Amino acid sequence: MDFTLFLFYAFAAVLLGASVGVIASRNSVHSALFLVLAFFNAAAIWMLLRAEFLAIALILVYVGAVMVLFLFVVMMLDINVERIRQGFWSYLPLGLIVAAILFIEMALVVGGKWAGLDAMPMPAEPAAGYSNTKALAWLMFTDFAYPFELASFVLLVAMIAAVALTLRARAGNKAIDPAAQIAVKASDRLRIVSLPAEKSN
Amino acid sequence: MDFVMPDFRLAAPELFVAAMSLVILMVTSFAKSRARSAAFWLCEFTLLAAVFLTLFSGTVDRAQTFSGMYISDLLGGFLKAVVCLSVAVVLQYGRAYMADRKIDSPEYYILVLFAALGMMVLISASHFVSIYLGLELMSLALYALVAIDRDNPRSTEAGMKYFVLGALASGLLLYGMSMLYGATGSLQIHEISQRIYERSANDMVVVFGLVFVLVGIAFKLGVVPFHMWVPDVYHGAPTAVTLLVSSAPKIAAFAMAFRILVLGLFDLAEQWQMMLMLLAVGSIVLGNLAAVAQTNIKRMLAYSGISHMGFMLLGLMSGVVKGEGGTYAVNAYSSAMFYAVAYVMMTLAAFGMVILLSRAGFEAENVDDFKGLNQRSPWFAGMMLIVMFSMAGIPFFVGFFAKLSVLQAVVAAGNVSGQALYYWLAGLAVLMSAVGAYYYLRVVKVMYFDDAVDTSPLTATLGTRTLLSANALSIAAVGLLPNWLMQICAFTLLH
Amino acid sequence: MLSLSHVLTLSSLLFAISVVGIFLNRKNLIILLMSIELMLLAVNMNFIAYSTFHADRAGQLFVFFILTVAAAEAAIGLAILVAMFRNTRTIHVDDLDGLKG
Repeated sequence: MDFTLFLFYAFAAVLLGASVGVIASRNSVHSALFLVLAFFNAAAIWMLLRAEFLAIALILVYVGAVMVLFLFVVMMLDINVERIRQGFWSYLPLGLIVAAILFIEMALVVGGKWAGLDAMPMPAEPAAGYSNTKALAWLMFTDFAYPFELASFVLLVAMIAAVALTLRARAGNKAIDPAAQIAVKASDRLRIVSLPAEKSN
Repeated sequence: MDFVMPDFRLAAPELFVAAMSLVILMVTSFAKSRARSAAFWLCEFTLLAAVFLTLFSGTVDRAQTFSGMYISDLLGGFLKAVVCLSVAVVLQYGRAYMADRKIDSPEYYILVLFAALGMMVLISASHFVSIYLGLELMSLALYALVAIDRDNPRSTEAGMKYFVLGALASGLLLYGMSMLYGATGSLQIHEISQRIYERSANDMVVVFGLVFVLVGIAFKLGVVPFHMWVPDVYHGAPTAVTLLVSSAPKIAAFAMAFRILVLGLFDLAEQWQMMLMLLAVGSIVLGNLAAVAQTNIKRMLAYSGISHMGFMLLGLMSGVVKGEGGTYAVNAYSSAMFYAVAYVMMTLAAFGMVILLSRAGFEAENVDDFKGLNQRSPWFAGMMLIVMFSMAGIPFFVGFFAKLSVLQAVVAAGNVSGQALYYWLAGLAVLMSAVGAYYYLRVVKVMYFDDAVDTSPLTATLGTRTLLSANALSIAAVGLLPNWLMQICAFTLLH
Repeated sequence: MLSLSHVLTLSSLLFAISVVGIFLNRKNLIILLMSIELMLLAVNMNFIAYSTFHADRAGQLFVFFILTVAAAEAAIGLAILVAMFRNTRTIHVDDLDGLKG
């Protein structure tokens, strides 16, 4: 067993342990933290697979942004932990059976010699000076320019949707609209009324 | 590096809609009091202009651009025109409805436009990356739209259910795509097809990927057993959004199914044909039987939509016999496409009627709300009659010819293969249509033979009334002259 | 030697765990969303493994787009969750019973 394989097994073990932690922990905050651990280990495995750019992106995007968002929501909402656990054990046998069937079928396809995937050799080491980031960037801004632009629209939709669904003017807010303040005219504030002088007779 | 500068003209409709969506976003942020009507009119303008662009800028020959990510052909052009037109109709029907409920924020219009953009991208996508991004652009906008009535618990609940199941379906679809990529080493649909044809792909892994991809497609079409979200989303969403979810996305999903299954994985036709058959039979049976039990018309139309999608899949699967396509294949695919277009026409009119009966502070959603419609408005009772007869498949409306052409395709496949199974399928479909006729005719019955409970006049604007009438009359008109639409479908598929 | 099957088996295990997670946490929407993130991680692992062994960078770019979309998806999902929580004060799947018929 070479050193790469040893590293792979070590990271894989932590990854699987952490993912079990995600789905089985009692507290949503712990789940989120387990998910962070899982992402770190997945990133390490991606490094072994020579996908350095994506490994870093996974940590930046997921751990840095998505998981923080999750934690933020978990802590913002007041969740009744006891009720959440109800039914956990009663679904466990069914869940395990489904997962076992699924895994065995998948493993038969991807794992064994049957499909011949294990015979596929790891390509040779890239030449010195090869940069994974540069290679991806080249493709991203040439052949993948169309999806790259589409992805920006997906992010824009997410932004608009999140604002449309959650932003609301706070009740009792006494802030004044600055534009309205500037646009105010003297005639709006002061009204000169001409009253006929009373005759005193 | 062999990079070819893309031909932007081929993608003109998408680029136009994308650019206009940004313009509308800017205009509505600065037009304070007029933002809503500005957003409405600009969106309508954009969509109608996109219809013209797709019809008149497209090339007759199939052409690819953006390094094989985008395919421009007549099929895509026609379907995109249908999508843009139906979204434009949706906006007009829903305008007063959304305004009455004070949820017609400019974001609503912009999200609808982004959903339309997603559908256009999806229809023209010929690469897994562009398929996935188009699908997600459409779905993410739709999730948010379903939940847009954010102070209404039913709307947010429907949005949550749609989101969770939709995200799960995307995950499964991606898993399938990853397997297909692994087996063929390519993400481009035509290259995948080529490699599978040359047998240079790993068969086991390909079939394995196919199953997951099919689950994803089935979910997006909303067919049994991946239909759980359909009734709840149709019921919980604001009716104007239900109108959107039930119409144009089905066209986009049809295009996705056609491109992936027929153009990409044709050599696996024997496998996917069997699966499509199961999905179709399940949908036709369950959709029709469950619809009978509904008292809520939105749920009833949801189950009826499930059965219609089953019919469409029946047409799609008849194009292949024993893994071979033939001359009858074009008829089969065009029957499925005709069915999808006819369904969109009918569902727009049906939910349009539901919106027509709603007004500020009143939500028409039960079959009983149609009671005595003939006394309140004989004209619109007549329009609803046309829609329900057409959905039931009564001659001579467009729904009848849609069902007829699908059944002809199934029987033709039976004749070629000599398998009795196809005749059984056709028989079952006819039987279930008869069951389906019951609940459509029930609506007609309450309209004409029951007394009106609610006698308030209809409040819809002249524009909505005219468009809805035109929509319903077009169902009758196409039913009288179905050939030209069928020929368009067959013609676009051949090129 | 690290082979393709090693990575694919790992990702199918991850996929299976995420499916169990969806089964078990029918009560808690947040963990449900996290299970879906795990499923996407399994998918990404597949793409990267195939990409490396086919020496084709397109798969890695697909992963880049999946990461982007997944981030957008999480934002929308959590926004809907927050909007729903404001209405019903709950995130239990069991309480999603307003729509029946």
